[in-house]
Amino acid sequence: MKKRQLWVVLAVMVMVIGFAFGAVAEEGVTDTEIHIGQWGPQTGPAAAWGSVARGTAVYFKMINAAGGIHGRKIVYHMFDDGYNPAKTMAGVKELQEGVGIFAWASGVGTAPGMAVRKYLMERKVPWVGAASGSHYWITPPEKYQFATYPLYFNEAMALVAYAVNNLGSKKIAMAYQNDGYGKNGLEGAENMLKRHGLELVAKVPVEVKDKDMKSHVMKMKQAGADTVLLWVSPTHGLTIMGTAKAMQFAPQWMSTSTLSDFPFMYKISKGLWQGVITGSFAELPDSKNPLMKKYKKAYEKYAAKEERWGVFFYAGFGFIEPMVEALHRSGRDLTRERFVKEMEGIRNFKGIMGTINFKPFDPKDPSSRLGTNEVFLVKCLADGKYEVLTSWLTVK
Amino acid sequence: MLDFLQIVVNGIAVGSSYALMGLAMVIIYKTSEVPNFAQGEMALISTYFAYMLIEYHGLPYYVAFPAALIFSAVLGCILEFAVLRRAKEPNILGMIVITIGMEMVLLGLVSWKFGADPKTMAFPILPYDSIALGKIYISTLEVLTLVVVLFLTGALFLFFRFSKLGLAMKATQQNSTAARLMGIRTHRILMVTWGISSFVGCTAGLLIAPVAMQPFMMWDPLLKGFAAAVMGGMTSLPGAVIGAYLLGIIENLFGGYVSIEFKSVVAFLIIVMVLCVKPSGLFARHYVKKV
Repeated sequence: MKKRQLWVVLAVMVMVIGFAFGAVAEEGVTDTEIHIGQWGPQTGPAAAWGSVARGTAVYFKMINAAGGIHGRKIVYHMFDDGYNPAKTMAGVKELQEGVGIFAWASGVGTAPGMAVRKYLMERKVPWVGAASGSHYWITPPEKYQFATYPLYFNEAMALVAYAVNNLGSKKIAMAYQNDGYGKNGLEGAENMLKRHGLELVAKVPVEVKDKDMKSHVMKMKQAGADTVLLWVSPTHGLTIMGTAKAMQFAPQWMSTSTLSDFPFMYKISKGLWQGVITGSFAELPDSKNPLMKKYKKAYEKYAAKEERWGVFFYAGFGFIEPMVEALHRSGRDLTRERFVKEMEGIRNFKGIMGTINFKPFDPKDPSSRLGTNEVFLVKCLADGKYEVLTSWLTVK
Repeated sequence: MLDFLQIVVNGIAVGSSYALMGLAMVIIYKTSEVPNFAQGEMALISTYFAYMLIEYHGLPYYVAFPAALIFSAVLGCILEFAVLRRAKEPNILGMIVITIGMEMVLLGLVSWKFGADPKTMAFPILPYDSIALGKIYISTLEVLTLVVVLFLTGALFLFFRFSKLGLAMKATQQNSTAARLMGIRTHRILMVTWGISSFVGCTAGLLIAPVAMQPFMMWDPLLKGFAAAVMGGMTSLPGAVIGAYLLGIIENLFGGYVSIEFKSVVAFLIIVMVLCVKPSGLFARHYVKKV
């Protein structure tokens, strides 16, 4: 009996001491390390966007090589979720509860991100720069989530405004992925058209698993569209444009920043991508911006040799520049609360994306958690070169 | 009317790739009664083999494509010999599970070796060019696919009907013990079947790759091809082909006139209906084994 009591006392002591230490050190932060997590599809239908995570890895390597942040090295935990929300959830849980992650960086995809949002927010784990322009990240805004990707909604508005005002488009059709990603774009496009007293002449949903796009193209051709907006995956975009070409349907094509990796799209489309207009959320690959030059050096030094210096690769830097900035500003006493406070203090921050501003948390103000809405429009030229059509703009 | 005709032509065009995969599945099913779910990935790895020869070793396509076809046939034989034949006390369910396992291994291999980014394969004709029949368009690649399907169906039909090897394959399916007693080396027959089937699948892969090439490109054609084969009757080669074209046309008509969102689902609905009315499929002779 006495022995049993002794065990109970011991157990209680261990728990008390454990909690006491827990209160001192923040989860995921030690004297020498900060643990940061990220998911990114290296396989599966969205693998083309997997370079975001590989870019982030190089960004952290660059920071660590320069001495880390206030004497702490960043330990980066990345896993492949294959763009499968169930896998994202499993992987995030495993790392969060197994390793202990201080904060999550970026993470590709609307559906994968939505799968873990509630979990992370309930545990008060900061998450910066989801690699998707969905408005779900800020509706409702959450104290611990910071969005840095301009909204698809606004990007679609900018594209439609350009089509109507500058190209004189009258009949705009849209093919959109039948999920949060596509529908966000659809809403934006419809919104802007309404202001001009117009409507989409055809709106065609694309299922992720569908391969044959003939019916889709037929619908838009029948509607006599002069401009088509594509809010789909790269392969679907390709199939739609190829099918249209074969059916001798040649509208002005427009698409989202997610398909703005022109050298890549030009190559796999065998030149079909020429003339497509898209939004862009970051500097272009050949930019003379000093930060871009610095990042490119890091790329040359740390990236795998088959890695390409494409927009999604360096977006892996861009999405989380404010995160790194806030880590620096937090100083040596790094806690999640301090980090969030420093994130909120970021104003007129200019990295390689649009100007970023956050505000103190206001549950009624989504813009308190949306860093930027700036995009500019570009057009694909021969060999996947870029022509800049506008300067940075925000459409409201 | 023009739209209707264009939609039908579209259906036929897309049916061709289903037909090739359907044919490949039927060939194996005809001899072993196993639906081979690794079919798509066997074609995938052979197609990537062609890609590797062209992109990494600089070979022209007229060398790479035949090489890939030979590779696929050998691969089929090896898989049968090294994996399926090793199964202890094989029953159909076990075999199906093995093919699903092989599917995963092959898919993993391709993703690991080549990455999952979409790629493009050099091809003698541009996949986006088209031929106009009046105001109806069909791409040259689709015409080529159609020709390949018709040629292969004809060749395979004649092969199974008239050649000794073809007859031996049929005999193996209907009663393998009796076939063996008649001096047919049933193991070898099975191996050859896998080789032929893999070859047919590879032609499908090579014809799909010019538009968008990525590790998941065979899923849709495989599923639809399998569905078409079930609809046409799993043991009938012309049945699978006709089933595939029917499926393509119905799918496109549904997409064109009813709902694009449920276009892919309708295919499977029809199959359920067909199976309720005619369980052995539309074109297969109902073959009952005596116990």
